Amino acid sequence: MAEIAEPKLKQRPIVRLGIFLISHSLFVSIVCFTAGVLALLLLPVLAKNTYISENALMPGSANNMLSSHDTSVANKLVKDLTDLKLRSRGSEFDSQKLIAQYMFDLGAEVTHHKFYPQSNQFHPLHFFTSPDSGNIGKNISCSSLGINTVGIIRAPRGDGKEAIVLVTPYNSMKVGVEEAFSLGIAYSVFSLLTRATWLAKDIIWLVADSQYGEYSAVAAWLTEYQAPTFSRAHIVNSETCRESNIVYKHGQKPNAEEKLYDGFRRAGTMAAALVIKVAKQSDYFEDTVNIYAEASNGQMPNLDLINIVNYLAVHKQGLQIKVSKMWSLLNYRWLYTLGVVFESLGQIARSLNPQWKFGIPATEYVEGTATLASSLYYQGLGVPTGPHGAFRDYQVDAITLEISSKVPLTKMARRNEFLIRGGKLIEGVVRSVNNLLEKFHQSFFLYLLTSPSKFVSVGVYMISFALLVAPLPIVAAYLHVEASDFGSIQPKEKSASQASSASKMNVNFDSWKWLKSARKVFAFHLWGGVVSVLPYFISQMPNLTAKTSFIVWILLSVFSLLVSYMISGPSFSEAAASQSQKKEWASLKSVTISAAFIGLSLTSVINFATAEIGALLIVPICLMARPLKLDIKASNLISLMRITSNLVLGFIGFPPATYFLLKGVFEGYSGINVGDFWEWLESLWAWNSATYLYIGLVHLPCWALCIHILFHHC
Amino acid sequence: MRESKGSAKIRWFWIWVTASLIFRLILIYFPKSLNLSSRPEVSTPLTSIRRLAEGYWLKQSSLSPYAGSMYHGSPLLLTLLGPLTVRRVEGQPDHLLCSLVLVIADVVTAMLIRAAGQSLKMSSSSSLKSVGLHHVLEYSEVLPSGDIAALVYLWNPFTVVACVGLSTSAIENLMIVLSLYGGCTRQAPLAAFGWVMATHLSLYPAILIIPVVLLFGYGPDAPPRKLLRQRTKFDNSSSIDNSSVEKDVKNQLRELNFSWKPVLHFLFWILLWSSYVLVLCGIYARQHGGLKELFRRTYGFILTIPDLSPNIGVLWYFFAEVFDFFRNFFLIVFHGNVLLMIVPLALRLNHRPCFLAFVYTVVACMLKSYPSVGDSALYLGILGLFAYELSDMKFSFFLFCGYVGVSLLSPVMHNLWIWRGTGNANFYFATAIAYACLQLILVVESVSAILNHDRMLTKLTGAKLQDVKA
Repeated sequence: MAEIAEPKLKQRPIVRLGIFLISHSLFVSIVCFTAGVLALLLLPVLAKNTYISENALMPGSANNMLSSHDTSVANKLVKDLTDLKLRSRGSEFDSQKLIAQYMFDLGAEVTHHKFYPQSNQFHPLHFFTSPDSGNIGKNISCSSLGINTVGIIRAPRGDGKEAIVLVTPYNSMKVGVEEAFSLGIAYSVFSLLTRATWLAKDIIWLVADSQYGEYSAVAAWLTEYQAPTFSRAHIVNSETCRESNIVYKHGQKPNAEEKLYDGFRRAGTMAAALVIKVAKQSDYFEDTVNIYAEASNGQMPNLDLINIVNYLAVHKQGLQIKVSKMWSLLNYRWLYTLGVVFESLGQIARSLNPQWKFGIPATEYVEGTATLASSLYYQGLGVPTGPHGAFRDYQVDAITLEISSKVPLTKMARRNEFLIRGGKLIEGVVRSVNNLLEKFHQSFFLYLLTSPSKFVSVGVYMISFALLVAPLPIVAAYLHVEASDFGSIQPKEKSASQASSASKMNVNFDSWKWLKSARKVFAFHLWGGVVSVLPYFISQMPNLTAKTSFIVWILLSVFSLLVSYMISGPSFSEAAASQSQKKEWASLKSVTISAAFIGLSLTSVINFATAEIGALLIVPICLMARPLKLDIKASNLISLMRITSNLVLGFIGFPPATYFLLKGVFEGYSGINVGDFWEWLESLWAWNSATYLYIGLVHLPCWALCIHILFHHC
Repeated sequence: MRESKGSAKIRWFWIWVTASLIFRLILIYFPKSLNLSSRPEVSTPLTSIRRLAEGYWLKQSSLSPYAGSMYHGSPLLLTLLGPLTVRRVEGQPDHLLCSLVLVIADVVTAMLIRAAGQSLKMSSSSSLKSVGLHHVLEYSEVLPSGDIAALVYLWNPFTVVACVGLSTSAIENLMIVLSLYGGCTRQAPLAAFGWVMATHLSLYPAILIIPVVLLFGYGPDAPPRKLLRQRTKFDNSSSIDNSSVEKDVKNQLRELNFSWKPVLHFLFWILLWSSYVLVLCGIYARQHGGLKELFRRTYGFILTIPDLSPNIGVLWYFFAEVFDFFRNFFLIVFHGNVLLMIVPLALRLNHRPCFLAFVYTVVACMLKSYPSVGDSALYLGILGLFAYELSDMKFSFFLFCGYVGVSLLSPVMHNLWIWRGTGNANFYFATAIAYACLQLILVVESVSAILNHDRMLTKLTGAKLQDVKA
C-alpha cells in the first residue's frame, strides 16, 4: 500500500478512487458513521409488511374442524389435572400417568422419556465443536430424574417420514391453572388430529417435564431423538434408576400402562414445532398471543412460520398478536420527535410524487423502534427466549406461542371459548404446515421484527452495519500508508548516489514495520482470550457471591495484563526508543482498527445483532483514538474537544461500564448492583452465547488497545 | 560483540523451536475438544488419518485397501503409518503415536528449511561479492532468513492445525523440502529421493523437477546471470591482477553455464528411486489388481476429482455445478492451467530456482484438486527464505489481514451452512474464492518484488561500474 501515496503517471480509475477515499479518510469516516446511525434509526420506516412466501402453506383456506366435543374432553382433562393438584396426595408421577392415559385413550402411541437434566456448563473449548459433542454430566442422581410424556399420531396419508411437534411445558410438582390450560389446548387439537383424515405428517405431542427448566427437558428429548448416545455411562445409570421406574408397573389402569412401550419412539424429521403456553390474564381487553422466536445466537425461525400464526390469529380468530418490546423506549421524547420528522419528510416526499410510499405515523415509529430494539437485544444476547430454542439447534423451525385470556381462567363460562379459540389457532397452523412439501425455505431466516406484521430483512439491515464498519479499513489503510511512508521519502530525494541506495536498503524494512504493532495487538488479543477463560476457573471456586467473583475476575484480568506487559516490556520500550516512534502509534492504531474490522465482520456473520450493537460502541473509539499527549501539546479548541470525546467514548466502551450505563438508562439507576454484570455474563456463557466470545476476544482487546493508544508516550 | 549477539540469537531460535514443540504436544492432548481431524480445511480425502486407518483395517482383513472409496493415499504411507493407527496407549488420546510422528516430521522440515536457507545465504553472499555489491551484503546479514523461515513454518497456525489435526500433509511437506534441501546442497540422491517420494505421495510436486534441475544446473539463487557476465567482462578488460578475485570469477564463470553433469547424476538417481518405489508398490498391490489399479485409485482419484466434498479449494464447487458432458473438458483445462504456467515462470525466474519452487507450490496449492491448509503452511514457510529479497513487498499488511480474516471466516461459514442451515454452499465457497485471490495476490506481489530486487541490483552494479570507469 506504500505506493499509493506516490502518485504515478496514469492509474486505473479504481485505484484512483481508492486513493481518493484513503486520502479523505476523515471526511469519509464521518459521513459513513453518521449515515450508519441514521440508517439504523430509519429501519422501522423501511420495514416491509410480512407476506406468506410459500404458496403451499395456504393458511386459513380450510374450515376449522375443532368441535365442542374436543374442547369438552379437553376441559375434562384440565379439570382432572387441577383436581389432582387439589387432592395432592398422589405421587409426582400421577399427572404424567393421567396424561398418558388420556393420550392412549385417543389411540396415540404413548411413551415416557426419562432424562437427567443437564445444567449448562461453560466449557471454553466447546464453542467451536459440533452440537453433538456435549457429554453426559458426571454426577447423575436418580432423584433428579425428569420424565417427558410423548404421544405420537401416525398420519393416515403420510409415509411416516415427516412430523410436526407440539410442545407443552408442564411441571408435575406444581400444576397451575395456566399450565393445565396449555395442556388442554394441545389436547383438544390432538384429539381432533387423531380423527383427521387429511393428516400427511405425523404429530408428536411432547409434554415436557419442566421441573428442571423447560429448555433442558425439551433439549434432552431432542438430543435423544436426533443424536442418541450409546455411551456406557448412560445405560448404567438408567439401570440403577430402575427403582424409580417401578411406579409405572402397577398403575391403577393396567390396560393402558402395560401396553406402554418402554423404548424411545420416533416419527419422521420435524417440519416445525410449536411450543404452547398459557400465560396469566392479559392486561389488554382482548385475548392476546405473545410470540417468542429468538433461538441461540440470534437465530430465528423461518419468517413464514410467524406469518402463518399472525395471519390466522388476526384474521381468523381475532386474537391480538404481540412481540416483545422495550417499554422504556416508548416514553422518550426525542424518539417521538424523530418520528415526527420522518413523518413530515414522508409527507413531503408524497407531495412530490404520490408513488413514494415513505414515512409512517410518529406513534407507529416509536412502537416500531421499541420492538426493533427488543428484537436486536434478544438476538444479540444469544440466549434463547424459550424452549423453542432447542429446536433451532437441529435446524427445526419453532416458535413459542404464549396465549393469554382477557378474563381470569377460573371463570367456568370462558373456559370453553378460550379453549376453542386457542385450539383453532393451533389447528390452523398445523394444517398449514401439514401442506408443506419441503422444509421451510421460501421466506427469510435473517430478519428483525418491528411489529408482528412488519419486518426488516437482511438486505436492508446489513446496510447500516456496513456503513458503520466501512470507515475502518479506509482509516486503517490511511494510517498504514502514513506510518510506513515516513522513512521512504528521504532516500527518494537523493536516489542517484550509492550512499542513499544503501540507506534505502535499510529503510525499506519499513514496509514490514507493522509486524511490531501486529505483535502487540496479538498480545492484547491473547490477553482477551485469557480473560474470557478466567470465569471458568473462578466459578470452580466454592462459596463466591456474584460481587466477589466479579471483583476477583477484574483483579485477575488486570494482573494478567500487567504480567503480559512485564514479559513483553523490553520489546515495547525498544520500539519506543527507535527513531520512528512518532509514527508508532499510527501503525499500532492501523493494526488495531484492522483487528476490530475483522472481528466485527466475523461477528456479524455469527450473530448480526451483537455486531451491530458492538459496532456502535467500539467503532467511534477506534476511529477517534489519538494519544492524549499530542492533543495536550496542541491545546486548542479542537484538541480539547477530542480529548473529552475520547475520554467519554473510552469510558463508554468498557464492557461493564456499558452494561451499567444501559441498565441505568433503561431500568433506572436505583437497583444497580456490582454483581449484576457477573450474573449477566454467567448467563451468557452458560448458554454458550457467541456474544460472550465477542466481548472477550474482540471488544475488550480492541478497547484496551484504544486506551493504550490514548495514553501512548510519544 | 557480534558473536555474542549471534549466539544469543541462536539460543532464542532453539527456545522458540522447543516452545513450538511443547505447544503441539499440549494441543495433542485435546483431540476431542478441538476435533480438528474432521475439519474440511485440515483433512482432505487424501490426507485424512481416519481414511488411512480405514485403509489399514481393510488391508488387515486381506481386502484391497482401496476397496470402497475410503483410502486414496500411497501404499507406502499405509505400511509406515498404518500400524501406528491401531496401536493405542492406555489412557492416552487415540492416534498418539501418529501425531508424534507428524510432530517430528514438522520439526525435521523446519530444520531442513533452515539448512537450505543457510546454504542459500552462503551462495547469495558469494555471488553478491563477485558482482561487487559488498555493501548490500551487510544488510542481508542482518536477517537470518533460514531461522526466520524455520520459525515461520513451525509457528504458522496452519502448520500447527495440520499437525494436530493429523493430516499427512506434514509428511508430503517434509519430502518436498527434502528435495529442495538436497538441491541446495547438491546432494543428488537426497534430492531425487525427496522428489520421487513427494510425487508419489501427492503427484503435484512433480512440477518441482524443473526448479530442482535448475538448482543442479545453475546452483542456488543468485542475481541475474547477465550481471555476472558483465562483471567478468569488465574484470577481464581492466585486468586486475588479484589472484583471489580471479579464482572467484572463474568459479562464477563455471556456474554461468548450465552444467549437465550434476543434472544427469540427479536424473539417474530419480530413475533409481522411482523404479525402487514402483517395485515396492508393485509388490504391495500384487494381490489387489496390480499397479494399474493402484494408479487408478490414487493418481486417478487426484486427477479426475470424483470426491466433491467441500474443501478450501475452488474445484469442488465448480465440478458440482458443471454439466457432466463438459466435465472432461474442464478437467483438462484446470490441470492444463497448472502446466501452462510452468514454462514462462521457469524462463523468467531461472536464476532463482528456490523462489521458482515457491511459486510452483503456490500455484499448485491454488489449483489443486484437494487442497488443505498444510499446503499453505509449506509455501508460507518457504516464503520466509526470501525475507531479505521481499523486504519491500507491497500489500504485505493487506495480505496478512486477508489471511487472518479468511482463515477465521471459513470455519464460521462452514458452520453456518452445515450445522445451522441458515447459510448455503455459496457462503463457504465465497471464502474459498477469497482465499484463492489472496494466494494470487501473494504470488503476483512476491514475483514482482523479486524482479524489482533484481532490477535494483542491476542498477547498483551499473552505477558501480560507471564509478570505477570514471
